[in-house]
Amino acid sequence: MGSVFAAAPLDNSLSYSFSQAPNAAASGIREHSFYPYTDNGGSTLGISGADFTILAGDTRSTSGYNINTRYAPKLFKIGGEGPEGTGARIVLSVVGFAADGDALKERLDTIVKMYKYQHGKPMSVAACAQRLSHILYNKRFFPYYVHAILGGLDEEGKGALYSYDPVGSYEREQCRAAGAAASLIMPFLDNQVNFKNQYIPGSGEGHALEQRVPAPLPQKVVEELVVDSFTSSTERHIEVGDGLQMMIITKEGVRETYTELKRD
Amino acid sequence: MPGFDFSNHNRNAALHAQGVPLPKATSTGTTIVGCIYDGGVVIAADTRATSGPIVADKNCEKLHYISPHIWCAGAGTAADTEFTTALISSNLELHALSTGRKPRVVTVMTMLKQHLFRYQGHIGAYLVVAGCDPTGSHLFTVHAHGSTDKLPYVTMGSGSLAAMSVFETQWKSGMSRDEAVKLTSDAILAGIFNDLGSGSNVDVCVITQDKTTLMRNYITPNTREHKQRNYRFPRGTTAVLNQKIITRAEISKYVTVHEVEDVAAAAEKMDVDQ
Amino acid sequence: MSVVEVVRRGGRDIDCLDPGRGGGTSSQANAVPTQLVPELETLPTPPSLQTALKNRNPRSTPSNASSSYQLAKMFIARSEYDRGINTFSPEGRLFQVEYSLEAIKLGSTAIGVATSAGVILGVEKRVTSTLLETSSVEKIVEIDRHIGCAMSGLQADARSMIEHARVESQNHAFNYAERLRVESCTQAICDLALRFGEGAEGEESIMSRPFGVALLIAGFDEDGPSLYHAEPSGTFYRYDAKAIGSGSEGAQAELQNEFHKSLTLPEAEVLVLKTLKQVMEEKLDSKNVQLASVTKDIGFRIYGDEEMEGVVARLESN
Repeated sequence: MGSVFAAAPLDNSLSYSFSQAPNAAASGIREHSFYPYTDNGGSTLGISGADFTILAGDTRSTSGYNINTRYAPKLFKIGGEGPEGTGARIVLSVVGFAADGDALKERLDTIVKMYKYQHGKPMSVAACAQRLSHILYNKRFFPYYVHAILGGLDEEGKGALYSYDPVGSYEREQCRAAGAAASLIMPFLDNQVNFKNQYIPGSGEGHALEQRVPAPLPQKVVEELVVDSFTSSTERHIEVGDGLQMMIITKEGVRETYTELKRD
Repeated sequence: MPGFDFSNHNRNAALHAQGVPLPKATSTGTTIVGCIYDGGVVIAADTRATSGPIVADKNCEKLHYISPHIWCAGAGTAADTEFTTALISSNLELHALSTGRKPRVVTVMTMLKQHLFRYQGHIGAYLVVAGCDPTGSHLFTVHAHGSTDKLPYVTMGSGSLAAMSVFETQWKSGMSRDEAVKLTSDAILAGIFNDLGSGSNVDVCVITQDKTTLMRNYITPNTREHKQRNYRFPRGTTAVLNQKIITRAEISKYVTVHEVEDVAAAAEKMDVDQ
Repeated sequence: MSVVEVVRRGGRDIDCLDPGRGGGTSSQANAVPTQLVPELETLPTPPSLQTALKNRNPRSTPSNASSSYQLAKMFIARSEYDRGINTFSPEGRLFQVEYSLEAIKLGSTAIGVATSAGVILGVEKRVTSTLLETSSVEKIVEIDRHIGCAMSGLQADARSMIEHARVESQNHAFNYAERLRVESCTQAICDLALRFGEGAEGEESIMSRPFGVALLIAGFDEDGPSLYHAEPSGTFYRYDAKAIGSGSEGAQAELQNEFHKSLTLPEAEVLVLKTLKQVMEEKLDSKNVQLASVTKDIGFRIYGDEEMEGVVARLESN
């Protein structure tokens, strides 16, 4: 929208209305306010399988129409040792306000490490999921401005995936997309992972037609779906791009991959 | 009646006051640039159109025709740049016919600024006007409120800073055509890669006294990748709840259907001024 | 301050708090100090102190045959370091903590036996009066569905430890949606046990003295059944079988002989009662002992009257 909108590019609303009170008081006193949050764009996504969980996120960090950096990871190993997070079995992805995401990841990582010292066993994903919910709800009235997804393997070795709202409501799911392009990716996932709106050809007429039954997908298929989700989002969402970071959690541990995305 | 229709203004303002949101206009986030060189002028633009954070068009045209030797690059509200340039183009044609002279770039600039000033910035068109006329090669910018600039190199749109950084470091006077094309396209590339409002391809238009060359998709650095998987569904995947066949005989009760013998010939006839 | 006074005061406290010991008659109250003296004499003196005492006075070494003068001298030496609960004696001992261990030796006997199927806890209830309602003597309590504990020593102290453990267990379930491990629960209790003394920044302490109670913590978690013994000193160990309280020495020796890894739960019930029977002053019946178990399926459970009668009957038939 040209240079005039460069400062606040996403706001197209009119600046007048009948009911709106003027911003400055009649006396000319101006009220200043500090808004503590920013949106750093980007998207994350998680899919769980029979014996694996994949979390993915693009690596672009934005503010307005600017790119802060082309490589700011949104995926973090939780409870691992050293700067590489060696031995971690839980992965957290955060999208939204990057500073809150970093703070949240640091807190959860510390808690998971302390848990291991205190209880002499690694924290299960279910326990970590519950704890993360509490961390988020503890800041109910000044929330961490993030959409978090937690992934790992459950006690039975099955893929486990938990998604959160910013104040701690959470649910275990098969798949979840979050962030800027969530509304682009989620319907695709519904269709391709849970086979929504897909019927078995020739299984009946009209309402009698049978819904295609979802089954856990093979790891390769999931990896391809993730890549396609992000290349497509990069095409149609301005805040998504630069790089795709993936973490694949299996019983062997956490494998990390990086793929280039379009940089425009 | 020519001009804008304001009859819904009061109704819309009242609706807005009650909390009804305004319809979202497609904005061409945009990087547009222009540069004068020895023997002509070059303008260039990216091809991304956005609606909020969504890419509405990956390969839109932001270089608009005004007259054979005057072209305009537009940023801002897509519809405004589109209609404003078309309107001025038409009026300029009439002006050229009535004066019997070749249209001048200053004329275009003046018509644009007067039109935009009248609408006090509500027409969100931000334009780079460039062209060659009997007085030489010219380059202007026109802002939505009606202000104008005349400069040897200009940038506009959300990517203007990224593009200007290229001009400020690499521009020199007395460039050749090839140098000017390289510089303007580099400036657009800077916008494409560093401004989220700009993206996809580079369009370039070179105007000289004898010839105008529009180089649509001059550089395409952002071609779409192949998908990893095939997303063709087997026939019958979508549920058909019911189907009804309406025959031609039935529909003819409500509409009259005529067979057109020669479509091409009929269309040709309509264009002829009687 | 005389030695006798110190001892007698300790004895009176215990009388008030533990209905198990002594009762309230004046003759018994007077008997307490003399009763305690030989017990204190058997207090294990660390080798370091023994050598320290030897070096100080090589001609007279303390022995079992030592006079009360000798004993009094030892006490006087201690008393300088008795008052401050945070003050080490030159021999490196914290006397108040050691005395708190003595308080446990006055308590009723409690026994725990861990088997592969679960843990059995057993305590003696000292029925000091025929008018006492035995069901009001609570020496085995639940901490959580999967953890229970038996106590010996100052019962009132145990209440606050158990309250702490219960809160800790609930917090863990709330925060992590899983059961607290038995070891973590024991650790939490022992963390509280060390909260006597001053705070880090010199702030006032919540507790004025160490706890005077020991706990046998029995539980079942992902690693199976386990039994822990927690002391007022804040140390804890895991045991297959453990006895605490006044009869602990004899009981522990019995457990040492009788325990084996393939013990079944009913066998463990009998072993606990048999061991209690040997160290109890009163004749064991279904009213003056209490049993509880922790198993995988049921978790913690205190035996009802009928069940107690059943186990006691089995003990007698053996």
